[in-house]
Amino acid sequence: MPPKARAPARTAAPAAKRTTPASKVDAKASEKLKSISAAARVDLYSARQHLDSSTLDELTVKIPFDVFFQDPAVREATRAFNFDEAFTVPWEPGISDGPTSARFVVIDYDGTTEALTPPAKWDAKDNVFRDDNGLPLNRKNLDTPQFHQVNVWATLQNALDFYESGAGLGRRIGWGFEGNRLIVVPHAGYGENAYYDRDSKSLQFYYFDHNGKRVHTCLSADIINHEFGHAVLDGVRPLYRESVQVETAAFHEFIGDISAILIAFRNTKLRRQIGEVTGGDLDKDNALSSLAEQFGRKDEKPYLRTALNTLKYAEVKDSPSHHHMSQVMTGAMFDILRDVYRYNRERREHTVPQSLWFTASRMQNLAVQPLDLLPPVDVTFADYAEAVLRAEQIVNPTDPDGYRGMMLKAFGARGILSKTRIRELEKEPAVLTPVEMKVFHEAGDIAASRANAYRFLDDNRRQLLIPYGADLVVSDLSTAVKFTTRRRRQAKHILLQYVWREDVLLSGSQFGQFNGQITDLLCGATLALDIDGNLLAWARKPGTLPLIRSVRAEDKRVDGEAEAGRLRRDAFLTALAVRIRAGSIGGTPVGGAMGLLQKSIAPLTSSVVDGTLRFGLAPHLGIRNHAEDENNEMGDRSWSISS
Amino acid sequence: MVDKLLIRAYSVGVGDCIHVMIPKARTDGENFHILIDCGTRGKGAVLKLAVDHLKTNLPEVDGKRRLDLLLVSHEHEDHIKGFDPEWFKDVKIENLWMTAAMNRKHPQAKFKHKLHDDVALAMRSIAARNLSLSPDLQDIVSRYSIDNDGALTALTETLPKQNKIDPLYVHAGLPPAKLKPATLAGATFKVLGPQENIDYYYLGEDAGDIVQTFALASAGALRSPAAAAALDAAPPANISGADFRRLRSRMMSSVFAFAEEEGEVVNNTSVILLIEWRGRRLLFVGDAEWNGAYVEGEKNFAWNVAWKKHATELGKPVDFLKIGHHGSRNSTPWNEREDGMKTEPSTILDAILPRPTGNKKPTAMAVVSTDRTKYDPIPKSPLLVEIGRRVRNTRNYFALLGNDRALTLPLYAEYEEQWLNQPQPFRTDIETMISGDIFVDIAIDPAAGH
Repeated sequence: MPPKARAPARTAAPAAKRTTPASKVDAKASEKLKSISAAARVDLYSARQHLDSSTLDELTVKIPFDVFFQDPAVREATRAFNFDEAFTVPWEPGISDGPTSARFVVIDYDGTTEALTPPAKWDAKDNVFRDDNGLPLNRKNLDTPQFHQVNVWATLQNALDFYESGAGLGRRIGWGFEGNRLIVVPHAGYGENAYYDRDSKSLQFYYFDHNGKRVHTCLSADIINHEFGHAVLDGVRPLYRESVQVETAAFHEFIGDISAILIAFRNTKLRRQIGEVTGGDLDKDNALSSLAEQFGRKDEKPYLRTALNTLKYAEVKDSPSHHHMSQVMTGAMFDILRDVYRYNRERREHTVPQSLWFTASRMQNLAVQPLDLLPPVDVTFADYAEAVLRAEQIVNPTDPDGYRGMMLKAFGARGILSKTRIRELEKEPAVLTPVEMKVFHEAGDIAASRANAYRFLDDNRRQLLIPYGADLVVSDLSTAVKFTTRRRRQAKHILLQYVWREDVLLSGSQFGQFNGQITDLLCGATLALDIDGNLLAWARKPGTLPLIRSVRAEDKRVDGEAEAGRLRRDAFLTALAVRIRAGSIGGTPVGGAMGLLQKSIAPLTSSVVDGTLRFGLAPHLGIRNHAEDENNEMGDRSWSISS
Repeated sequence: MVDKLLIRAYSVGVGDCIHVMIPKARTDGENFHILIDCGTRGKGAVLKLAVDHLKTNLPEVDGKRRLDLLLVSHEHEDHIKGFDPEWFKDVKIENLWMTAAMNRKHPQAKFKHKLHDDVALAMRSIAARNLSLSPDLQDIVSRYSIDNDGALTALTETLPKQNKIDPLYVHAGLPPAKLKPATLAGATFKVLGPQENIDYYYLGEDAGDIVQTFALASAGALRSPAAAAALDAAPPANISGADFRRLRSRMMSSVFAFAEEEGEVVNNTSVILLIEWRGRRLLFVGDAEWNGAYVEGEKNFAWNVAWKKHATELGKPVDFLKIGHHGSRNSTPWNEREDGMKTEPSTILDAILPRPTGNKKPTAMAVVSTDRTKYDPIPKSPLLVEIGRRVRNTRNYFALLGNDRALTLPLYAEYEEQWLNQPQPFRTDIETMISGDIFVDIAIDPAAGH
């Protein structure tokens, strides 16, 4: 449960008088837009990776939008705070009515009223969306459903940029489903939740009434960005959904929450307000540390979850609630954020706004880039901590400011990494060495296709600790151009994920209804190389199939890997038995013409694929689980239905 | 059997039809006969058989069979479907008790009734549209079928008129004299639920808001079929028809969420009846549900409210438990995680059916009226095994059935196999398979010295 401490969460500063009047901003943007031809804009778009963010803004390859930071129904008194003048989204050639763009399509269908609302219309000449009457959809015209459509779309376009830009992953990302457009439903129906659902390729934002006011989750940047975090993680690591570990589900929640926090941190007005409210002391409760105030206020708690917690890994590791467990990782990242901020404020004598700005930008680098170094399956908090530390070494090998020390301190204090591991990592040199290969493959060749990557892996099974009998699948292959902390381009990264499945017989009464069936243990690794063939990271999840041993009688490397594989298998079986005993596993929900009943969806699903049992996280990943909120320590009644 | 109290659970599929005979408990020294519920989710034919059989065991008085008390725990089909006035016209019902939640005039169930009516309207509108629904939603729609109205009318109007009696709508807190039928001498009836203020305890302080919100949530459900068809004919232009259909099928239904909630309230306002007879305590719980813990002012669940309000009565072991809701996981309070943690529900179970310690053997008894159908979680086998550790009337059904017959149980591998060879309390479904009888009997002796 979130700590009960009351906080002046997101209490807005009286900032309205400092903001540029809306009309002025609109006029300025509009003038700029008119000064550039359509052909020139396409040219600039093609060259965007060579231009920095402010230049793109200046040349209107980024378009300013008015988006709410929070639903005004929640914080009406400070409405002006909701708009950030610096908010932009990248322009792209295919924007059209809906809004519709390369990666998002807004469908304003309300499942409760069973009605479709007409879409916002794109005016390509003026680069604005218009309502049915032809009026631009901006802060002067915000009471229409079309404004909500544009609000959620623009927030998502901006969030996608947060992940795809060089300071983030430095590459285009795909979704976890077949298709390239994520369907966004701004008014999905009545309900106090929002979901990412891979199976319908959608983000669904519901609305509810509180104290006589309608609260729209599609107007809360926190909620949008949280759900989008699920979509991004499902895109870059789709096999996490097959995990039976609560910790992997908790990692999904962590990504949702950290996305909300770090994207909010980019909001200039929010940073200003944090500075004013906390007096520059981020140890105080503040607007950044608290999440989804909408729900918190409704339940008479200040917010849904807080990053300002002191939870330790040992306290949450056996929790059945993934939302609860996620807080330890969010808390650790917030510890690092505060240390980075404090260091710059004190040692580098930054002003409060300077240090907040620097920290916001540094945190994007520090938290997002490691996602590419995570293993392809069954992620743990420790895996992420290792990835964060490794990504930092890659991007900042000399580390003159001691950021890595701040990270080690946070992960150690929270118990996410063991003391022994911390000591090893303290000594680990930041040197890049080539991947050990028996059969040499050029890094560029490996990156050329999945088939090439497979031959590289297969030719080097022994060195790469891949079992002889494993039928390997290259589950993802991409290249990335990430930025250093000084916004310079790093050498190209080659990111390779490979997996295999090992049969596991479920034998024993602890497996309940699944006793006697065969399921599979997903195994594999992520291998990150630079274009010169240097090993950036290698995150493995071994299995139990026999490994190829060296001719030497003793092969400690293989013995260690085999032992790690056995431990993984045991942990998988233990976790599965716990989930079965807790009654957390149901069938795969099948929706009909009237949709689904939330309560009948089990936390984990089961299905049979090619004769083998597969488990998976419930497909609807929501920002909250009401049963958890109220009865965290109690029985899992959330998905049983009455009759 | 002369001095034994008889509990006879008819095997009526997923449903309850329970005959309780208290020996010599009438003021005239005759046996006192009670029928608790008569319903099923399946076909009504099994109920007709049960009612006809029951009648043969009721005493004949003035050309009719005398039933001393008819108790209706709650108004779900699986508890009331069998109340066809025709079937009961040769039965003289002396007392008719129903949950206060079934009293349309009960002032503290105003919101509950409004919610029920609105949900029924929405569900019937959905039924009329003939949509393809997921099985769980189809199940909810069928709960509000117009057929149930017939049984309700029988209970609240026809049967009282036929028998010239006024129904007594019971709730906790009624004066003991009210709960003592004029002809009863040898037993005491206590009602531990529902509480009188139904809206407050089972919907919460926000009961009014819930009802108001439902009006909004049901807007789509109440649309005309033509309006819905128009939508199908003109999907949005920016996605494919297939994607739009899939999207609609995977959105969370608020109208069903409310219907489901209403169903919970009906279960939670089940009559929880404690019969005390010659040193024995017998608990009949309808389909009362449990949740994490009681929270003042919130929507609470039956067991938690009863524990909060009647801890003295529930805090002692019972000699018999009618297992609630056909053995579903959410009706018998327990720690379903089975992780050894003490929770409010597990505390309640330990109080009413303590696990014997040392070499002691359990003394209590229990029965569950159930049937394994497509409702796969009913009964919840691990729960039955847990109860099996706490009662003495248990069976190893695997041994009794043998492998070949066991395999014929529906969803055997998924929901029976692991637990069938462990002691379970009497189950109507398997008892009938074994004996061929349409009921299972439990006989209870008076306590020593009583």
